[in-house]
This record gives sequence, C-alpha cells and structure tokens, in this order.
Amino acid sequence: MTPLSHYLIFSALLFSIGLSGAIMRRNVLVVLMCLELMLTGANVALVAFSRAQGLEGVPVYDAQVLALFVMAIAAAEVAVGLALIVAMFRARRGVESTSLTSLKD
Amino acid sequence: MNPAIQAILFYVFALGALLSALGVVILRNPVSCALSLAACLAFTAAVFFGAGATFLGIAQLIIYAGAILVLILFIVMMLNVKDEQPAAGSWLYCVLGVVIAGVLAGTLSSAALRLPGATGGRCPLHVLAEHADELCPASNGAAAGQAQTTPAEYGGALPPISMREGESDVSLLGKTLFTHYNLSIVILSFALLAGAVGAVSIGRSLRRD
Repeated sequence: MTPLSHYLIFSALLFSIGLSGAIMRRNVLVVLMCLELMLTGANVALVAFSRAQGLEGVPVYDAQVLALFVMAIAAAEVAVGLALIVAMFRARRGVESTSLTSLKD
Repeated sequence: MNPAIQAILFYVFALGALLSALGVVILRNPVSCALSLAACLAFTAAVFFGAGATFLGIAQLIIYAGAILVLILFIVMMLNVKDEQPAAGSWLYCVLGVVIAGVLAGTLSSAALRLPGATGGRCPLHVLAEHADELCPASNGAAAGQAQTTPAEYGGALPPISMREGESDVSLLGKTLFTHYNLSIVILSFALLAGAVGAVSIGRSLRRD
C-alpha cells in the first residue's frame, strides 16, 4: 500500500503548484483557479491523515468532515470571488491584476 | 482490490493530477486553464476513491468539477477574457513564484519523508507524535486494545480499509457529520447563504447602466 508520506508529498506539490500560479499569473480568474488547487491539496492531506489515524481499517471521519467543510466554503468563496471579478471587469474593462493600481475608478 | 494495483493507480492518478495542475499554471487561455483544472480535480477525486473516501470523491466531482468549474467557465465566456500576454518584468514574478513554491514544496516533502517511523529521520513531528494522544483523541470510539496506527508508525504503509458488517463510508461520515458536527454544519449553511446573498449584492451594486 501507498505510505502516508507519498500522499503528503502529493498534497504538498499540488499546494505549491497552486501557490506558484497565484503568484505568477496576472489573470484574476486563473488566480482563483489556483486557489482552488491549493484547497484541493489541503484536502488530500486531510484525507490521507484520516486514513492513517484509523482504527482497524476504519478511517477517522473528523478529517473527512473537515474536508467536506473546505469544499463547501470553497463553493461560497468562488461565488463571492466571481461576483467580485465581474464587478472588477465592469469597473476596469479587464481582469488583469495589474490594472488594480489605483483606488479611484 | 490488489494492493499493488491500488498503489500503481495512486501514482498514475497523482502524476496526472500534478501534470494538469501545471497546465493550469502554464496555459495562456483561461478556458484551457479551467479544463485543465477540471482534469486535475477529477484525478484528485480518483485519488480520494483510492484512499477509501468514496463520498468525498463523489462530492469533489459534483461540487468542484460540476458546480464550481461550470460557474468559472460561464464567467470566462461572459467576460470574453483574452489570452494573457507576457508583460515587461513578468519574469521577475515567475522567478519569485517558482522559488517560493519550490522552497515550500521542498520543506513540506522533507517533513513528509521524515515522518515518525520512517527510516533514519528525525523531525519536529516526533515531538508532535509524543503528544498526539492529547492533541487529537480518536473519536471513533477508540478503546484500549484496538489496533490503531499510532503516530510513531506514520512512516510505514497505511493499513487496508476494512469496514464492519452493515457499515459504509457514507453512513459513517453521515454519523460523524450529524452528531459531532451538527452545529458546525448549521453555521456552514449560514455561511453559504451569506455567500450567495453577497454574490448577488456585489454583482448588482456596481451596475450603473
């Protein structure tokens, strides 16, 4: 079976790729997608630990409940984030983060 | 399922997820990014299935790949976003992003490789392992004498999943969700409601025409 460390390395790599995208990209929509990647990476670690802490082959479900909460919060976050992006597009005629340099419109 | 096949499938799906995650970062067109993200989330759902979290895998497919991604694609098409062109000085951000992410990945991976119980490593997690019982008492009715993976054995292979008669992943998850975390899920529903109301009000307030 796959050891816990490989799940954790997978989750760390997924999180780092998302972080690098959030730093590198200028398109706010893609930055939002990279945030989703980071949340998914955290979810992988939660699932792996729920599996590793289990008793007699039954996982500990507290971690999976937490992962479920993360998914629900991600859904709310995307709804608000996309509304903000639409508002930003209306105000600036673009979704580049470099266009957000002044507070006045 | 054969454990060897399960392990091979994990590596295949993890590799696919990482490659499509790289696609999200590298591709220029936002629609390609969104489709790459869909592939990444589907591969991650497959990893969840392999780890025995069937309900979470299905929730991942329905919530992320179904709802969130369709929403993002709608917005991409509504805003008519163009391909991202490299701007002057953007290489600085590329270097910065790669360095920060590389350092973070290296730190986390080395911590994961030196988990307590792994061969020849000592890391701060050992300190955690000694106090793990006080930090997180297992809530699945842990009694003395039951076989449990102690934090000192985290470096080894994970035990195979073996459900008792009449129990499944979904029923156990539901029991935990609606007993210990009942209040939390009510609060969470209010957060979702607030998110929906906030999205509507933000989307309306800036409309001037």
